[in-house]
Amino acid sequence: MGLQLPGFGEWVAAFLTLACFSFLYRDNTLYRIAESIFAGVSFGYYIGLARLNTLEPNLFRPLFGNFSEHWTLVIPFALGVILYFRYIPKLAWMANWSLAVYVGYYIGVNLTQRLQGEILPQARGTMLALDPSRAGGVGPMLGNLVVVVGVITVLVYFFFSSPHKGPLKPTARIGIYFLMVSFGASFGYTVMGRVSLLIGRLTFVVNDWARPLLVSMLGS
Amino acid sequence: MNWAQKLLMIDRRIIFLLVFLGALIPILVPIGLAVRVSPPVKSIFDRVEGLKPGDAIMLSFDYGPSDGPELDPMANAILRHCHKKGVRVLGLSLFPLGGVDMGIARFSQLSLETGARSGIDYVNLGYKDGGQAAMKLLGESLPAVFPSDVTGQPVGEIPAAQGVRNYNDIELVISLATSVLGEWWINLVNAQFGVDVAVGSTAVSAPKYYAYVEAGQAIGVMGGMKGASEYEDLVAQNYPALAGLSRTATVGMDVQSIVHLIIIMFIVFGNVMFIMTKRMK
Repeated sequence: MGLQLPGFGEWVAAFLTLACFSFLYRDNTLYRIAESIFAGVSFGYYIGLARLNTLEPNLFRPLFGNFSEHWTLVIPFALGVILYFRYIPKLAWMANWSLAVYVGYYIGVNLTQRLQGEILPQARGTMLALDPSRAGGVGPMLGNLVVVVGVITVLVYFFFSSPHKGPLKPTARIGIYFLMVSFGASFGYTVMGRVSLLIGRLTFVVNDWARPLLVSMLGS
Repeated sequence: MNWAQKLLMIDRRIIFLLVFLGALIPILVPIGLAVRVSPPVKSIFDRVEGLKPGDAIMLSFDYGPSDGPELDPMANAILRHCHKKGVRVLGLSLFPLGGVDMGIARFSQLSLETGARSGIDYVNLGYKDGGQAAMKLLGESLPAVFPSDVTGQPVGEIPAAQGVRNYNDIELVISLATSVLGEWWINLVNAQFGVDVAVGSTAVSAPKYYAYVEAGQAIGVMGGMKGASEYEDLVAQNYPALAGLSRTATVGMDVQSIVHLIIIMFIVFGNVMFIMTKRMK
């Protein structure tokens, strides 16, 4: 199957990609245009998405299609509408009611979520066997030791209630080394992530736009 | 200004140009460097491999187009694997900026490649606002959160979603995530509903997920393009019929290796020059 000429979408995408790349040389109008288009399109997309995927199937259709069964949806609908009262100065105070429900719900969800799903299991995950027979050998035991020492020394580094003097000083110092290793790993992954973005755009420009264009122009 | 200082003042655009060439050449001429599979990726593959035909998993497209180069290959590999196993996939998205379209594109590609049927082998439930609220409600009732799929068909009429009432009927949740959504699947859905969770994350977010794997909260993690290439490799090794399909992450890892070499060379070069200029003073 031969390569197809790039369509209108490919031309627009290639133009915007190259406009963004042009920033690497210096800031310029083309880059600003691409940036503004991205911001505008993202916002418009989000509004359409929320209406089509959430508001219509979960609110409007059930509420106006079968009111007697779904009348309770009036409450979240009203809270959502009240949020926009902040644009009416005399009624702006009412928007706080909606915010109070929103904030209250998410505080409740987050509180249990963090405690049950993060703090307790993560703390349990650091309580590891330091006996080779229970850890499954000397190798795993050494791995456990690194985790335990890392957790304790980093916690000591972030313990600010007393000055880092005496035994706290070398312990906190070891904690800094663990943090350095962690930052290094994060930086390496960040580089990989950013290079992946470059690969994605270059693959598109080369394989979906430039190559078909060149092949069709050169006729082979 | 001595020669070492002059070299340290090199125009950054020369570095950009070298990185650009380092990325472009392997795309034009793939090298085919070997892929080594890590345990956190292998455990996800093994979990899917252990599923029975007819089992259902949730695949959450919690990312947008900018994360496509890293997460699209993961989605492709997982979907091909599930289709080969006869596992039903319920696709959804909780990420607003493009997640639903990522799902549509990946399912379309799966259908083209393997002949998988929409509504029978998979269903794309679409996007839902609310994040944690949607995750919690999914634990009670799937139709309450997704009354219909992305095409508007009522979820009760879709064979791929038959018998799936909530997480109790789901064998595994895989979130392909940017931002905090992958963490929420772990520390909310796994913690409160006990369903197995695996995450395919962008490379930037990957380090934090290893802590969840170590603590047993997630069954595995695929970190960035490297993780995607590992899953692609596992699928290709175990299912030769799928080995001929596109493996964009594996090709991408050639580029990663070359660009990383260039970056390492510049880091070493910069440090050596810095030390030399100090000695020359």
